Formats: sequence, structure tokens, C-alpha cells
Amino acid sequence: MSTKILVTVKEVAEVDDEFEISGLDIDDRYLEYDLNEWDDYAVEEAVQLSEAGDDVEVVTVTLGPERSEETIRMALAKGADRAVRVWDDALADAGLLDATTKADLLAAVVESEEPDLVLTGVQAADDSFGATGVALAERVGFEWAAVVNDLDYDADANVSSVRRELEGGVEELTDVEGPAVLTIQTGINEPRYASLRGIRQAQRKPLDVHALDDLGLDESVVDSPVDLTSMYEPESEGDAVVWEGSPDETADELATFLREQGVVEG
Amino acid sequence: MDFDLPNEHRMIRDTVREFCEAEIAPIAQEIEDEHRFPESVFEEFGQLDLMGVPAPEEHDGAGGDYLMYALVAEELGRVSGAIGLSYVAHTSLGLMPIVMFGTAEQKERWAEPLARGEAMGAWALTEPSSGSDASDMDTMARKEGDEYVIDGTKQFITNANVANSVLVKSVTDPDAGYGGISTFIVDPDDDGFEVVEVWDKMGLNASPTCEIKLDGVRVPEDRLLGDEGDGWTQTKKTLNGGRISIAALSTGLAQGAYEAAKGYATEREQFGRPIGKFDAVRDMVVDMDRKIERARLLTHKAATQYDAGEDVTRISSLAKLDASEIAREVAEDAVQVHGGYGYTTDFAPQRFYRDAKLMEIGEGTSEIQHLVVGRELGL
Repeated sequence: MSTKILVTVKEVAEVDDEFEISGLDIDDRYLEYDLNEWDDYAVEEAVQLSEAGDDVEVVTVTLGPERSEETIRMALAKGADRAVRVWDDALADAGLLDATTKADLLAAVVESEEPDLVLTGVQAADDSFGATGVALAERVGFEWAAVVNDLDYDADANVSSVRRELEGGVEELTDVEGPAVLTIQTGINEPRYASLRGIRQAQRKPLDVHALDDLGLDESVVDSPVDLTSMYEPESEGDAVVWEGSPDETADELATFLREQGVVEG
Repeated sequence: MDFDLPNEHRMIRDTVREFCEAEIAPIAQEIEDEHRFPESVFEEFGQLDLMGVPAPEEHDGAGGDYLMYALVAEELGRVSGAIGLSYVAHTSLGLMPIVMFGTAEQKERWAEPLARGEAMGAWALTEPSSGSDASDMDTMARKEGDEYVIDGTKQFITNANVANSVLVKSVTDPDAGYGGISTFIVDPDDDGFEVVEVWDKMGLNASPTCEIKLDGVRVPEDRLLGDEGDGWTQTKKTLNGGRISIAALSTGLAQGAYEAAKGYATEREQFGRPIGKFDAVRDMVVDMDRKIERARLLTHKAATQYDAGEDVTRISSLAKLDASEIAREVAEDAVQVHGGYGYTTDFAPQRFYRDAKLMEIGEGTSEIQHLVVGRELGL
């Protein structure tokens, strides 16, 4: 029995320490693009499942312009089998894509690929909605578990035994019946470096590009109640106190400080 | 003319850089201080397919080209000259001669474990009294039945005490001059092979540099690489590739020193502003950038021409000569930019400075590079 795992992979913008804002975005000169950190863990989790199991296919899906193909190839280099990239002039013109739009776009890919399991990152490092994975599950009617930091997958039964992080340090153990969407937390595994052969092979792996038409969607998919109205750098205030010395001395100083600040009593 | 790296090459460079920053940079000074060869780093190189970058895939290499190999060497140099030096000695000198000149059996037995990263390579040319005049060689190999018996001493042999094979240059015909030199694949486990010294050096101490003694080492005929008398021609071809990797490593050392200096010049404030805002410091940093661009262009040109099968004697010598001098100059200025801190081992520039000096000496001194280029120019 074969298993198909779909992994959402986003190319995120990383901002230099010093930057300027231009209009509604950070000036492109200060941005570098890389694979979203959470998605790196999701890819690794899928690749480990494919290495451990028989006949597991790992497919990545990315919403992004041509530039993102380098990031997609990196996921292929780490062991994904093939990639799907969705892009369209309508998406480029829309600017900000909200979680609902992304879920609608990804849902169309899920419907055509029919995966047994969908892994997404918990969130993207740039816009940090943290909602796309769960919104996608809701949209396609899959079971879901968010913020998964341990996964034991039974391919035959298509059941994922997961540990998920809840608020306040509480964790939940639960079984999720597939097909399911799991949003993957950093730390669930140790993402590998791509090997040189992996990188070379990645150049030859299939990477299919779909426009809205190809997915049976039209431009209305980008309609959104969410508008980006302004971009600014918040005033930040930082006040760090550094104590130097032996642990005994600094611990005393810290304790005094915490009492004075009212953080602890006594 | 296309000065952009192909996508595959860029991805490989970026991945190696990521690995180097996370796994090597944090231990670079520690392994130097402890004079420790970091075996586990080389094991990881094996897993990443880095130990046989320019070796063909049918011999368990990555099937890359010299441009790709140069990019990897530069990235290693950027964080650790010692790891970079052991790496290029393994690849250019220990592995590639077997790939280029070996029989099918020799490639399978000796080259493939090196390319997979299961073994370290080395080669032994220099002797205590034979350096720049490499042909004035005392190590002798005499035929006895279907064996050769090798006697001699080899000096400054990188990786010898961690290697699984050493390509030993020996005289098989004392009357034939350059044409009387042959190459043998020696296993350090062979009887009579002894590492008699591991040198303490000015830098690069995480890369072992050894003196070895061969005392009646008996090797079967099938350890002869190529034919008797091929040794010198092989050496010249090997060093053409080797010089490109030393040029790349030097470019990396310079790049590492430059980044440290630029970072420090931006952060360090004196007289109320970053020191990089003062002309004297700015000009030093700008000159670093200028020189590194030159070293990298020459190195990439030499690698590209090598990959195209052209004769690279002149261009690889120029690249090695220029990049090694640049590495030393840039590293020296990086120490200067850091002031007193630059003289401490808490900061990387002193390490780059000490490491860079060897690049002007190893694989042909700067003086010998001038000689090589002079000949190529017909002078």
C-alpha cells in the first residue's frame, strides 16, 4: 500500500538587522529568501517517514513566484520526491494572501493529489499567521492536530499518534485519523543538511507549476476581508541588565532584582 | 561571459556555508588550540558527499567539477584553514591522482573509500632535503620479484597520521632524472611505514603535518600508479588541480578575515563613531574587498578552464600566487583593524593570519609559482 505525504513549503523573507520600509513592504534590498524554518522540520519529518516506510511519496506544494524554486529545490535536495508550485498573475497582483486564500489554493492541490497525510509548518517566519494549516484542514474536511512536536505514524491504519504543545507548557497525546493535516513544530526532529548528490539530483526532480485555471479556481480566490493598510517599525524598548561574576554572586543579584521589580515576593 | 554561478553550484555553496557556520566555526579555534584533527567533521563531510566532489559518480564521487570543488574549498577556508587544508590534500593529492592515473582495480580498492569519505587520503612528495627541487629525491623503490621495496623519508606530509593511503613518490630509475620517478600507493599499515614526527606549526595545527619514514616497505606490483617513470608527469598534472584548490582555500581565508574585520569596523566605536567611518580603517576594508574579488575571479577562471580541459599551468599558478598573498595581506590587515583584540585568540583574524602564511609555501612556494609563470611566458 502506498502512502502520499504532502508538505507545504513556503519561501519566507528574512530581514537584515538594518532595513527600510518602502510603501507597504520592507524594501527588497534588505530581504533575503529562504525555506521557512518550520517547513524545514515538516519536510524532514516527511522524508524520515518515507525512508522508514515502503513506497512513501513526498510531494511539496508551494505558493510562490519563480524565485521560490530555489527554495523548493532545497526541499527536493533533502529528499522530497517532487514539487508543485502554484502561482498566477492574480496572486502576484493581490499582494498579501490571507490564511483563507492560502487554504483555498492549497485545498485545490490537496483535492488533486489526494494525500494520506498533509504536513505544514506551525507558522511562517515572515507573516506568522499560524493559521494556514488548520484552515486547510477545515476547508478539505480533514482531521487535524496543531503544533505537533512528536509523531508516530501508522501508515497501514493511516493514524498519526501525536504529541502536541498546548499553552502553558501542557502537552497533549492524541491519535488523529487520516487523512489529516498536522502542523509541525520546530524541534520535532533534526533537519538534515542536503547532501551534494541530493542537490544535484534535485535539479532533475519534477517541479510542476500550476496557475489558477489549472486548479479549477478563478481570481475570486484572492478576495479577502483582510487588507494590508500600513507597514511601520514599532518603537522598541529594551533594557538589559548584565551581571558578571560567579553564579553565586549573580544569582543573589538576580534574586534582589526580581524582588525589587515585584516579580517574586519575599 | 557569465559570472553567475549555476544554480546547482550556488545551492551547494550555500549548504556548505550553512554547515560550516553551524558545525565548524564554533570549534575552529578549539581544535587549533588542542592540535586536534576533527575526525567527526570529516565523517559528516562523507555523509554530505563532500569527500569526492570532483571524482566521477561511478567511483563513488559526487561527479562535480573543479568549480564546485573550489567553492567547497573556499567555504571551508572561510571558517577553518586547517580543515580546509586536510580536505584539499585528501581530495586533490590523495584521491584525484588515483582517479586520473589508476587502474580499475586501484580505483575500486583505493579511490572509492576515499571518495565515500570512509578513508582519508595523503600524498608524499617533499623530503627533508628536497623541497622546491622536488626531483632531487632520495626515496628509492627497487624491484624485487613481483614487489617493490621502498626506502626513504618524506617531510611535511599532510594527513599522514590519519590517512588510509599515501601516494609516495619514489625513484625507480636513478639515472633517468625526472623520468625516473614513480608513484606508489602505500598503506600506512604496511610494515616499515612509520610516522616519526607530527609537527607543531605556526598555524593549521588541526591539520596534521608529518614526517614519515619508509624502511624497507614492501608493496606488490599492483601498488604502482601508472607506469614506472610516470611520477613526475603525474605530479605536474596533480599540482595544476591542487593549485586551484589552494587558491580557493586562500580566497576563503581572506573572506573569513575580511568578514571579521568588516563586522568589527561596523560595531567598534571610537571617538564617538564606528571605526569603519574613519578613512584609515575604511580603506583597509575596501582593499580587502578589492583583493578578494580578484583572487576569487582568478580562482574561478582557473577552475572553469580546468573543467573545459584547457592547459591551466599559467592560470592556476597565477591564482595560487595571487590568492595566497592576498590571504596573508587581508588577514594581517584584519588583525590590525581589530587592534589589541585582533592579537588575542578570542578573535579569529590571528588564526587566519597564521593559516594564510602556509598558502604561500605549500604546493609550490610563491617563488616557484613565479618560476612556473615565467616559463609559461617564455622568460
